[in-house]
Amino acid sequence: MGLFDALLGGKKKLKAPAPDRLFAMSTAYVTLDTSHAIKTTGSAGIVFQPLATADFEAIATEMEEILSGTGADTGTTIRTTDDEHGYRWMILSDDDIEDLVVGVNAVSDALAVGGYGDRVLAAVFAFEDSKGRPVYFIYNYKRGHWYPFVPAGKLQRDGERELQIKAIIGDELPIEPELERWFPLWGTPI
Amino acid sequence: MAATKTEFGRDPGLQFRMILTLFLLGALYVVFAGALFAAGANGVLILVICGGLAFFQLFTSDKLALHAMGAREVTPQEAPELHAMIERLCIQADLPKPKIAVAQTNMPNAFALGRSQKSATVCATTGIMNLLSPAELEGVMAHELAHVKNRDVAIMTIASFFASIAAMILQFGFLFGGGGHGDDDDGPGMLAIILFSLVVYVVSFFLMMALSRYREFSADRGAALVTGRPSALASALRKISSGMDKLPQQDLRVANEMSAFFIASPKKVVAGLFSTHPPMEQRIERLMSYESQLQRGTLAAA
Repeated sequence: MGLFDALLGGKKKLKAPAPDRLFAMSTAYVTLDTSHAIKTTGSAGIVFQPLATADFEAIATEMEEILSGTGADTGTTIRTTDDEHGYRWMILSDDDIEDLVVGVNAVSDALAVGGYGDRVLAAVFAFEDSKGRPVYFIYNYKRGHWYPFVPAGKLQRDGERELQIKAIIGDELPIEPELERWFPLWGTPI
Repeated sequence: MAATKTEFGRDPGLQFRMILTLFLLGALYVVFAGALFAAGANGVLILVICGGLAFFQLFTSDKLALHAMGAREVTPQEAPELHAMIERLCIQADLPKPKIAVAQTNMPNAFALGRSQKSATVCATTGIMNLLSPAELEGVMAHELAHVKNRDVAIMTIASFFASIAAMILQFGFLFGGGGHGDDDDGPGMLAIILFSLVVYVVSFFLMMALSRYREFSADRGAALVTGRPSALASALRKISSGMDKLPQQDLRVANEMSAFFIASPKKVVAGLFSTHPPMEQRIERLMSYESQLQRGTLAAA
């Protein structure tokens, strides 16, 4: 934000989603899987703010129907849940990471076409390492960056492991450079 | 962690004292500069000294204010909901995560501190967390984050500094234009210079208050955009304003310049001109118009 915006009290709009780097996950996953034994759990979610406007509900419902329709071909199943913070999750299940990425992208596209692209918070992909510990990759739509999130017990995160993961995949995945923007998402429904 | 609760009577003069503190703070600069000037220091030196003071204020006021409010930074383990709420708002508002503090007091209030987005702290009182529903609290925290995003703390500090500068410029003008030529040492005199500068400062002080009110509206709008729920913030403001009159406000005696960053002014004793916050009804009215814009789908485009 420039000086002018600061003086006038900020931008009039929310920041639009950054250029899409979501698809980087498809290629990065090959490395994660083969070299580091970090495997998908078969689910991914996209989290957004449901607005209390008439057309928003219509768009969300329509989107779910379309995805369920295309899901019949790829085997992707979809469900919706609201979390305790008032955000809505669309959760996709499919063993193929490629299908998950395409599905998540379809959800954010549908919201963007409906004029609600700025309401999308993040996409979350769930993985597991060889010891069965969960590893999440979170995609921040506003910034077009990924970051790892490794929960370690109740409201604790394994910072060391997250930095390791950045080191091993940073060349292939656009990782958020500012550590203070590696926001956790506790209690993810995936 | 019991909050120490003390009974204090109602204090109608509180708002007045707060304004007075804020006013004197700035007047201090003006008088100080005037005194330096009358003592024969040159203009550049005065500017450097006063600029240094303002700078010092900018860098230390947040820690002092937090301490004065009895606020303490909380970890995600201590306040998981508050942290999660603010983290999500930060993603949505594209901000780095601020420090999060909680003040143990029944007074429902929240404020933002810090000169930059990276050094910001947002603070909520236990009172406001108990009073509001999660959606309403989210609206309030989004309002505070909008202050951070708009860099309001730095801007108001700089504005108050400019108000002092304006008075100082007048002091120079007085010398070169008015009197003091020749050997007439009595000239306008130190007292006259200082008095006149004070008048200028009074005017800029009211302009500053007006600026603060505008930035309040702007933060409300920012909160409406980020949460997509203008009505939740409107409802929060209504709860705060009705809850505010019933509760003692002992902690506000220490609040001086930081009052500009409270979500709501404590009382409407001194209205209009003296107020750092616009009237609650006006803020709620605007939020409701954002809500109807949102329903029509024109809010983001406006």
